[in-house]
Amino acid sequence: MLKWTHKSPWILLKIFLLGALNSFTLWAVPILISNGSYVFAGYFIFATVVIDYVFLSKKRVAGKYIIPGVLLLIAFTIYPALFTGYIAFTNYSTGHILNKETAIEVLISNSYQSATEDSAYPARVAKDDLTGEYVFIVQRPNGEITVARKESSATLPRSDITLAEDGTIASATGFKLLTEDEIFEVSDVLSDLSLQAGNDEFFKLVDVGIVERLIKTLEYNAEQDIITNTQTGDVYRPNDRGSMVSDSGEELEPGWQSTVGLYNFQRVIEDERYRKPMVQVLTWTFIFAFLVVLTTFFAGFLLALTLNHPKLKAKKIYRSILIVPYAMPGVLSMLTWRGMYNEDNGIINRIIGSELPWLSDPTLAKAAVLITQLWAGTPYMFLICTGAIQALSSEVLEAAQVDGASPSKIFWKIKLPLVLYSLTPLLIASYAYNFSNFNAIFLLTGGGPQIVESGGIAGHTDILISYTYRLAFTAGKGNDYGLASAVSFLNFAIIAIISVYGFRKSKSVENM
Amino acid sequence: MTTVHQIIVKEKKMTTSKWFRVLGWRHIVALFSIAFALFPLVWMTSASFDQLGLVSAQKLIPDNIGLDNYRKIFNNPEAPYFMWYRNAVLISLANALLQMAIGAFASYALSRFRFKGRKTTLLTILVVQMFPQLLSVTALFLLLAEINESIPTLSFGSPLALIIIFAGGALGVNAWILKGFFDTIPTEIDESAKVDGASHAQIFFKIILPLALPALAVIVLLSFIGTMNEFVLTSVIMGVTGDPNDLTLAVGLQRFIDGQYDQQWGPFAAGALLAAIPVMLLFLFLQKYVVSGLTAGATKG
Repeated sequence: MLKWTHKSPWILLKIFLLGALNSFTLWAVPILISNGSYVFAGYFIFATVVIDYVFLSKKRVAGKYIIPGVLLLIAFTIYPALFTGYIAFTNYSTGHILNKETAIEVLISNSYQSATEDSAYPARVAKDDLTGEYVFIVQRPNGEITVARKESSATLPRSDITLAEDGTIASATGFKLLTEDEIFEVSDVLSDLSLQAGNDEFFKLVDVGIVERLIKTLEYNAEQDIITNTQTGDVYRPNDRGSMVSDSGEELEPGWQSTVGLYNFQRVIEDERYRKPMVQVLTWTFIFAFLVVLTTFFAGFLLALTLNHPKLKAKKIYRSILIVPYAMPGVLSMLTWRGMYNEDNGIINRIIGSELPWLSDPTLAKAAVLITQLWAGTPYMFLICTGAIQALSSEVLEAAQVDGASPSKIFWKIKLPLVLYSLTPLLIASYAYNFSNFNAIFLLTGGGPQIVESGGIAGHTDILISYTYRLAFTAGKGNDYGLASAVSFLNFAIIAIISVYGFRKSKSVENM
Repeated sequence: MTTVHQIIVKEKKMTTSKWFRVLGWRHIVALFSIAFALFPLVWMTSASFDQLGLVSAQKLIPDNIGLDNYRKIFNNPEAPYFMWYRNAVLISLANALLQMAIGAFASYALSRFRFKGRKTTLLTILVVQMFPQLLSVTALFLLLAEINESIPTLSFGSPLALIIIFAGGALGVNAWILKGFFDTIPTEIDESAKVDGASHAQIFFKIILPLALPALAVIVLLSFIGTMNEFVLTSVIMGVTGDPNDLTLAVGLQRFIDGQYDQQWGPFAAGALLAAIPVMLLFLFLQKYVVSGLTAGATKG
């Protein structure tokens, strides 16, 4: 017997949520499969089955709490990380987005050219009464009427059509002519349609009532996997980087996606255009992260020491105000700083009475980035240093005092090493964080000024992550996802090493 | 607390020079630092009331003070500031609550249950938290491009897609911190509740969660601020549609001001100030909790 208890609403909620999830999966999976997204479809099914099992089982108590988070973690953190690794070994980029089959289809259909100079003919779009397919009924200049279909073309006897006063076709036996409105309704379908005109030629609709006679200049031979140019006789063969290339080295666009082995990494190491900016960006990334941690730590530490005096009554107010930069949303403060660095009479130039090109000179731009990070990062260091100083054992300090150690000795030999020691894990975490501190760079300088040799893709203040972003999304020549992922991969590797090191350090602290 | 300084300043009366040596210079350093810390905020405030609105002609106290810039920011159809604000707050709030929920649920299991795969999960979380989602931005973009073919409503321009993607990072960032906190709640409390017949859900919702409230508040606050500040993923996911109504404050204001500092400086400052104030107030009110959360290992991001 079912009885209504205090648990019932929750059980109903559970059934409702599980039902919603299952219906969504049932709806989404067929669509994903029909679009060829097998991995996603598989994961959807897997996730749904796991959730159903865990939540309907009476035993899997821990699973109920942890499985949703784990499934999301796999889908949106672990899979993308692995996928990044995979893309790094492909040529995925503008011009290499499609799979091979589609790319060749596009190549062929892009190769249509007007057959002769005067190849536009009056025509009507019609529907075949029997098959329902779209056809073009074309009036050739010699008076012949051609019915162009997908697979064939045929001549229509004059007796089957009637002409209107202006000479256009008014009706055709066996076909239903489309009106202008009807043509607009299905214009998406019609604009992609190329129908047979006979003699390896095609008709394409170029305007309402007008088709153009076209010929294919490229032909694909699936058996030999080559493309031939019917006009020049050039033969294009696939290379191992996802493009059709002729013997003279001419490449057809678009190419297709394919794995290219270490090509992306090779480019970074061997190709002058990528190596030089890459080395510069990598070096600056290390220096930037190091200098930011160094400067903000010392500023924060000294400030914490200065304000940590028992008789300093205002210190609480000071502390609250000093963390304002930390509380201010970073995106907004970076953009504000950018305005303040304005070369043209910006406030910073006015204060120091100069006309320094803060954001367009390589060295000054780096200085600007560091000054801004000093502003943004010091409050955090100030907070954690204050905590660490207050936790210093007073006996040690008193003992040093009694032994006659000078204040500078107490600072260098006792306070600094002790605070450094207790904060090491946080400082390493801060280093790792700044290593990919995208906002600090991108919103202030946009990575600029440009490194001339890089063709505008890398800038003097770019760090690895902002360089990745530019390669993938804003590069002028197109988006190079493959190369961007290779750079990301490198970034992953470096952060992993830093983090493992940091983790070891924090472990050793815990074990004390 | 007895420190070195107390020993130094034990004398009763202080001369002015003595006061300066002990305390006065500290005030000077503090005031100087405060000036540096507040300067951009002050400058932003001043710019927002300067009707001239030019970055190159701005004065600390503007000649013609007025609310023109505020009117402009709310009446620009190409830069729908109110929509950005709404999007940013909704996305950040939803994300913050989801991050907290996923983190709390998972941490409860990791802290209280001994199950097969627990060690593996903990280790995975530890490894995964080293890799911010930010680094996978290219892969996430391509992943959404593929989803876009099948389920366009759950792809580019969809706040839901953004929130789900952020939720995928929840375990890595929060579970570790929260588990540490849950571990400090004595197991005797839930054991005695179990004896009294409480179910695992009752123990979680009625005992553990209320006790962990401060830690949960920190996670919510830091996630909220972190999402308000998130630029890369938001820009890629919400920005590719080309519809300015899809953007958030961070991405919208960046695109609004980028390359046209001189023309849009005033309206930008007004918009930035209105966006910054609530976040800063929230932060300052909950300062105590935030600081404890920070030192527990969370960094701003």
